[in-house]
Amino acid sequence: MNEYKPTIGLEIHIQLNTKTKLFCGCSTQFGEKPNTHICPVCLGLPGALPVLNEKAVEYGIKLGLALNMKINKESTFYRKNYFYPDLPKGYQITQYTIPIASEGFLEIKTEKGKRKISIQRGHIEEDSGKSIHTGDITESTYSYIDFNRSGVPLMEIVTYPDIETAEEAYHFLVLLRKTVRYLGVSSGDMEKGALRCDVNVSLSKSNTMGTKVEIKNLNSFRSIRKALEYEIKRQTEMLKNGEKTIHETRHFDEKTGITKSMRTKEELNDYRYFPEPDLPPLLLNKALVEDIKNSLPELPTQKEERFIRQYLLSDAYAYEITSSTELADYFESIAKATGKPKEAANFLMGSIMKFLNETEKTISEIGFDEKKFIEFFSLLEKGIISKNIAKEIIIESLKTGKSPKKIVEEKGLIQITDENKIEEIVQQVLKENPEAVSRYLSGKTQILGFLAGQVMKKTKGKANPQIANKLLAEALNKMKQ
Amino acid sequence: MTITDLPISSLVNKLRNKEITAREVIENYAKNIYEKEKNIKAFINLDIENALKRAEELDKMDEKKGLLFGVPVAVKDNMNVKNCETTAGSQILKGYISPYNATVVKKLEEENAIIIGKTNMDEFAMGSSNENSSFFPTHNPVNYDYVPGGSSGGSAASVKSEEALAALGSDTGGSVREPAAFCGVVGLKPTYGLVSRYGLIAFSSSLDQIGPLTRNVKDCAIMLNAIVGFDLHDETSVNIKKEDYTSFLGKEIKGKRIGIIKEVMDFNIQDEIKEELKKTVSTLVKLGATVTEISIAHLKYALPAYYIVAPSEASSNLSRFDGVRYGLTVQGENLTSTYELTRAEGFGKEVKRRILIGTFALSAGYYDAYYLKASKVRKILANEFEKAFEAVDTLLLPTTATTAFKLGEKKSPLEMYMSDIFTIPVNLAGLPSISVPHGNDKNGLPIGMQFIGNWFKEKELLQIAYAVENG
Amino acid sequence: MIDIDKIEKLAALKLKEKEKKAILNDLEEIIHYFEILKEVDTENVEPQIYTKGAQLFLRKDEIENGLNKEALEKNKTLASGNFYRVKHIIGE
Repeated sequence: MNEYKPTIGLEIHIQLNTKTKLFCGCSTQFGEKPNTHICPVCLGLPGALPVLNEKAVEYGIKLGLALNMKINKESTFYRKNYFYPDLPKGYQITQYTIPIASEGFLEIKTEKGKRKISIQRGHIEEDSGKSIHTGDITESTYSYIDFNRSGVPLMEIVTYPDIETAEEAYHFLVLLRKTVRYLGVSSGDMEKGALRCDVNVSLSKSNTMGTKVEIKNLNSFRSIRKALEYEIKRQTEMLKNGEKTIHETRHFDEKTGITKSMRTKEELNDYRYFPEPDLPPLLLNKALVEDIKNSLPELPTQKEERFIRQYLLSDAYAYEITSSTELADYFESIAKATGKPKEAANFLMGSIMKFLNETEKTISEIGFDEKKFIEFFSLLEKGIISKNIAKEIIIESLKTGKSPKKIVEEKGLIQITDENKIEEIVQQVLKENPEAVSRYLSGKTQILGFLAGQVMKKTKGKANPQIANKLLAEALNKMKQ
Repeated sequence: MTITDLPISSLVNKLRNKEITAREVIENYAKNIYEKEKNIKAFINLDIENALKRAEELDKMDEKKGLLFGVPVAVKDNMNVKNCETTAGSQILKGYISPYNATVVKKLEEENAIIIGKTNMDEFAMGSSNENSSFFPTHNPVNYDYVPGGSSGGSAASVKSEEALAALGSDTGGSVREPAAFCGVVGLKPTYGLVSRYGLIAFSSSLDQIGPLTRNVKDCAIMLNAIVGFDLHDETSVNIKKEDYTSFLGKEIKGKRIGIIKEVMDFNIQDEIKEELKKTVSTLVKLGATVTEISIAHLKYALPAYYIVAPSEASSNLSRFDGVRYGLTVQGENLTSTYELTRAEGFGKEVKRRILIGTFALSAGYYDAYYLKASKVRKILANEFEKAFEAVDTLLLPTTATTAFKLGEKKSPLEMYMSDIFTIPVNLAGLPSISVPHGNDKNGLPIGMQFIGNWFKEKELLQIAYAVENG
Repeated sequence: MIDIDKIEKLAALKLKEKEKKAILNDLEEIIHYFEILKEVDTENVEPQIYTKGAQLFLRKDEIENGLNKEALEKNKTLASGNFYRVKHIIGE
């Protein structure tokens, strides 16, 4: 047990997927040709002025509410002044003293149980452009700037240093990402830069906080977990050796899995924050916030718990199925239409998920809808198909888009229930497997499974398993005598 | 009356009646320009050719619509005019071609005005004499040895010298009113928020306003009609009902309450200006207005408060000039030195001073004592004005404490800053204010009287100014 | 009193040696002049930045036309790939 307790805080930037930028009508579309979505405002031309996007405010409120935060009736915008080529105005418009949302929490579930992680603030700000560097720092080479991203709306979420383990940080981020996706306010894709995270971590023995170390360049949730694990270890070693940790910014190296010290001038920067004179205060009326609150969709944890209660799903299944609204909605529509939630969940988590993973399709792209599911369950219920063949039928339907009924017809997969026919097969199997038979008769009754399997194989899975097993057992008993 | 003597409404009428053509108008103004520009140097850029082309288009029109139909207007070079060079009087923007129009420019064009050129100004509007232009100084048309005032010195001079019929300037601490007073023309700073700032190169965002410079009060009111309006591109522009600012002109001012600010007399004012103030009071009384003394107790703190707030906002507004996307670029060994060299070479002395003051006033450890403190003093002043307007309708004071000074005369920055003591308080409060020519000093240099109105009460303000002008 | 080197850095302005002394003098004179504000009692006074009737209005989330390459290149030629090019950022 580490005698030093880690204290971890997260600073997360979430790109809000509004159609246009925070302060101008340029498109926020990702991946376009550089410098094709810019205008005087987001390019920082002399004389340009910012005009606030109502959707960004709406999304900010939505996210704030979903994180159980207080939405501040009045908030102001501030200028954060510093020079950088991807910051066209030489300042970023952000919020400072009073953000749009404050004092919330997110309750996460780890192996140890549930924990509420407190969130300090959420504020709206504009994103900077993107710089691409070439060559080695020692060579006199260039940086290339694309301003398409300049002005895209961000919501910055800052947690209290409430997190105690790398595992918790990971779960927090997973749930946060799920939440923004459920709300539809962001894609949450780290690969596309729609979610960025810096962490800070310190260790101490007592209740006082240790020296904070900030870690940057974390490009995935996995990296964040690894970086924190490494950093906690590193700081523990230092403290055990009697060394003091210093307040610094470190850079995580993906390849080596370690953090390295970064000597940046940013630490010396005085941002000279002052209220943005081009933007009067943002005043939100109670009615607007109430409306948004009432229109919030069911959130991931709520849905997960409801699925467990309502559909009697296992914890694991409920967690998986609610990983996205698409999947959850799909499941729920099937469950409601067929009245068989548990069975539906089984097939969904089994054959269907396997198919999705292999083909890299999404749940909305496959056509296995309520109708097909109802048909499918009916075939099973009526005994027209056996349980063994059921999987095959689903996969075939997913691949071809044909209905289960059609597939059964075309492939002749109707279950064999004719006892005479099965008896014939049973006899064949017994004849062909004398060694197995003798082993069974000598007392190794487990071999029945193998023999039953052979019967299924011969019937291409179509034999009714109960009848096959019954007849097989009877035949073998006869032989005993 | 010659064509260039005609005020706006007469010119527009004659054009509509086809008594004259727009082409003739431009040709006549061009003649003035060719004669006088070499001595006055009011313009940084002129485009007579384009103006003539536009005039021809106007002449072809059947319906001659627009409040400013055919009116030659000069625009201060800190307003973006599409496809034109816009320099703000600075080397750092030499060669910068605007890819968009300022909203006021768009409005001028919608009213069928003809923009003839971009006027000279103190660099980034920082100055009171036009001597801070990085290109050349402008000369006062009344006496070429004297400054025209600043920072809209070029606009004021162009109107006085009849090189333009009207001009647009910008006023942050007096930059429309002070040159108006020095040159003997009318200059108005509207209520903050009445005119869109979109496309105006920002100096101090919470103080800047665009205003007209004209030969008389009526022309000023017409220009105001043309340029005011709520703008979706400017969050600080106000959404109020559109008014006709000429509608009260000529109405009597009997019973109007005029306030004289007591604290103005604490300052050293040129004798002739004190005289003109007295005469103005007499005229007002004769016209039936009542004149009382009003106290703005914190008036003297306006100047230091302004010289903290304005440079602070400017230091941030001017950070975008880094040579990356437009303007001057001086290449250094690396990025930081490129920024430093570009800005060191591109900005003049006064601009550098103000950027440094502003950076200081906003920096950690100083923000509370300087920027925050100044913002609080601003509030106190605004409250005092608000109280004053409960007792009076309009305030009267000189526009400046002295008449125009000679080029090169003012030595220190602080000396220069004093030129704006009577105009600055108005910007801090966001009130409307107009300077009207009223007499000359013994050297023949113009004197201006300043009227300050209540917020959004330009109609009444212009009514009173008009009465005094014609009284 | 004024750390001019620090302010220069923050303002990305490199003063030439010969003008530095003069400007520093000017700055000290001006900042000394600001002392007069200490006379004003600003206890319990709210700072004023926004004037009367200042109200933030919200823009609809609808796409508007921006600037095309031609407009941009009136001022700076874009490097290949349509980028703005700058000298390398040191210490990044």
